Amino acid sequence: MIPVEYELVLSTALFCVGLYGVMVRKNAIVVLMSIEIILNAAILNFVAFSAYAPPAGDPSGQVFALLALAIAAGEAAVGLAIFLALYQSHGTVELDKIRLLRW
Amino acid sequence: MLENAWLAWMIVGAPLIAFVVVGLAGRRLPEGGAHVVVGALAASLLIAVYFLAQVLQLGAIGAATSNTVDGFVWIPGDPATGEGQIAFRLLIDNLSAFLLVLVSFLSLLIAIYSIGYMHEEDGKPRYYAEISLFVAGMLGTVSADNFLQLLVFWEIMGLCSYLLIGFWYKKPEAASAAKKAFLVTRVGDVLFLAGVLVIWNVFHTFRFETIVEEIPTLWGYPLSPQLMTAIPLLLFGGAVGKSAQFPLHAWLPDAMEGPTTVSALIHAATMVKAGVYLTARSFIFLVPTVEVAGVHQVLVPAVPWTAILVVAGIGGFTAIFAASMALANYDIKRVMAFSTISQLAYMFLGLGAGAYLMASEAAHGSPEIPTAGYSAALFHLTNHAFFKALLFLSAGSVIHAVHTNDMRQMGGLGKVMPWTSRTMLMGALALAGIIPFSGFFSKDDILAVTFESGAANPLFYLLWAAGIATAFMTAFYAFRMWLMTCHGEYRGHGHPHESPRVMTSVLAVLSVFTIGSAAIAFLTNGFGNLVFYGEPHAALPLVSAVLEGNVVDLGLAGLSLGLAGAGIALAWAVYGTRRIPATTFTRTPARAFLHGMLTNRYWIDDAYDAFGSRAVAGFGRLVDWFDRNVVDGIVNAVGRGTVTAAAVSDAFDRKVIDGAVNSISLETVRSSLSLRTRQTGQVQSYAWVIVIGIAVIILLAFFFGYLPRLLGRP
Repeated sequence: MIPVEYELVLSTALFCVGLYGVMVRKNAIVVLMSIEIILNAAILNFVAFSAYAPPAGDPSGQVFALLALAIAAGEAAVGLAIFLALYQSHGTVELDKIRLLRW
Repeated sequence: MLENAWLAWMIVGAPLIAFVVVGLAGRRLPEGGAHVVVGALAASLLIAVYFLAQVLQLGAIGAATSNTVDGFVWIPGDPATGEGQIAFRLLIDNLSAFLLVLVSFLSLLIAIYSIGYMHEEDGKPRYYAEISLFVAGMLGTVSADNFLQLLVFWEIMGLCSYLLIGFWYKKPEAASAAKKAFLVTRVGDVLFLAGVLVIWNVFHTFRFETIVEEIPTLWGYPLSPQLMTAIPLLLFGGAVGKSAQFPLHAWLPDAMEGPTTVSALIHAATMVKAGVYLTARSFIFLVPTVEVAGVHQVLVPAVPWTAILVVAGIGGFTAIFAASMALANYDIKRVMAFSTISQLAYMFLGLGAGAYLMASEAAHGSPEIPTAGYSAALFHLTNHAFFKALLFLSAGSVIHAVHTNDMRQMGGLGKVMPWTSRTMLMGALALAGIIPFSGFFSKDDILAVTFESGAANPLFYLLWAAGIATAFMTAFYAFRMWLMTCHGEYRGHGHPHESPRVMTSVLAVLSVFTIGSAAIAFLTNGFGNLVFYGEPHAALPLVSAVLEGNVVDLGLAGLSLGLAGAGIALAWAVYGTRRIPATTFTRTPARAFLHGMLTNRYWIDDAYDAFGSRAVAGFGRLVDWFDRNVVDGIVNAVGRGTVTAAAVSDAFDRKVIDGAVNSISLETVRSSLSLRTRQTGQVQSYAWVIVIGIAVIILLAFFFGYLPRLLGRP
């Protein structure tokens, strides 16, 4: 059985990759993809602890993972719809060009 | 009891009514209302004589009678016991009844004389109104039943004296003399007032009769020996002011700026005698008595010996002091003013010596109280009132004729004014004390009493020597005055003529009294009956000396008579025959200095003026400075302090409170301005904030939550 630390390290690495993408990339689509990666890191944690949990694993982690995947799909759809609307009004999806939330 | 006692009020009331009538309607009356005043004074005189006769008959010649005539209650006091009551009442006893007659008689004569003397003056209604108010004041003073009432009338006299000295108020000398008289007398009046207040504090009454009864019970406590000395001395302070004794004598010579009739009435015959009367009344303190089995005995431990010596000492000193100043003066009225001071001093000497004699005789256990000094002083008061009024009115007649007061511009008036000259000579003889004129008897009685007191206290021998020296000086200046006025050649201008009959007839009446008043001493039991004090007593020393052949008293009388004769002889030699030239007195520097000292009145007036202009004005300036700098400074500082405090408060309000409010809002605005720039709209910068915030929270949770638990600490 794979030790849970490996899975946690992988999850942390994924999280960091996703965080980097959110912070640094300017394209809104890429940022949305990075968010999905962070989400996957969290889901991976659920699955890992679900398998690891004594005595013979807890299925609620797996259920949560599936639920989160479904919600992530919905989220991606809503996000892409927002970006489409943004593109239509601003002509771009570069985040540093769109400053609607300014004072 | 007196019959028709209410009439006694008319003695005071008649001149008062005349005052109102003349004061209101004097302009429309002939002679400015003189006849109304004369009529009122005649009424006073008649009523006073009526009461004197009653008093003497009730007293059956030789016993004290005192009757109180009720007036109106001023302050009711305790309704149950009457304690603390102050009422106006008249006291009609031997002394006041006699003085009422004397004062109203002299006032009447002088008012009659005024008709002639003031004939050509303006302002006659004012003159007569003030004269009658004055007489009301004097009559009220001598008939007062208590010290407060006495003080009230006493002040009325002071006011009238002021008004009448300043009768010619347009003349600067008269105006300033009036002020001087008023202010100098006021010094004494303040002492008198203080004495009256002390009396109230001790006795809770002002009445003479109650005080006499209460002295033995209150003696010790609250009437301590100090108070017993202070009360007569304070009262004597008032007398010193009113009677112009040293050191308050300076006003009387200047008071001669008033009309001569005023000088005769107020400043010779009556008002200045009020001091003597007051001292005579304060014998109840000087020689306190206690009644044992119906007989008055002197309360020896309570006798204020010091006060008696002060009275006698001031008297003896002032007598020779004032007489010396009369020697070298050329103003006929001032000579007589100094003479008046000197003669009044005789009376105080007589009262002081008499009181000392009474007290010391009682201390040695003598059953009889010798009241000769008291009687002699009041006898001299009577005689002096007559002969000095005569002298003043004669001088007034002379001044009326020559229109000057300077004796160097007179002379030889005996030829043109025979009546005036003759009456003046009689006055001068009485003043000099030549037998049989009245001045001789009373003055020698005073000197005899003083000499007799010398056995008890040798100081009185000294005072007697001063008195006898004064007799010599008096004779000299009296005849110097008469000779310079009526003898020799006329040195003035114009053609003097004899005064109108209304004036000379008054002079004639008065000159009869310069001899006649001496005769009173030879009535039964001497003069003592008229001014009764204490128990029946022997006649005056001189009378008894004649009757009993007392060698010492006769010798003393002879001595003073001889000295008076020597004074007259010297005056005759200098101013009559001119055998001794008058320049003899100023030939050497020492004599010239002495002469200058006398003409400058010992520089006392200068000293008073200097005191007034330097010390008092300096004090005034000091007070002014204090007021300007210290008081105003304090007020200004308080004002400035308030303004400063208000400014501080204002600044605090503006800067601190408003500043706090404003700066809070300003800072809020400013910080919001700077803070809103953080809201860049850059989604990723927000994400940074979120990430860093979460990182901080995780770190905090790790270090403060997880790590301590891991290390096993709660």
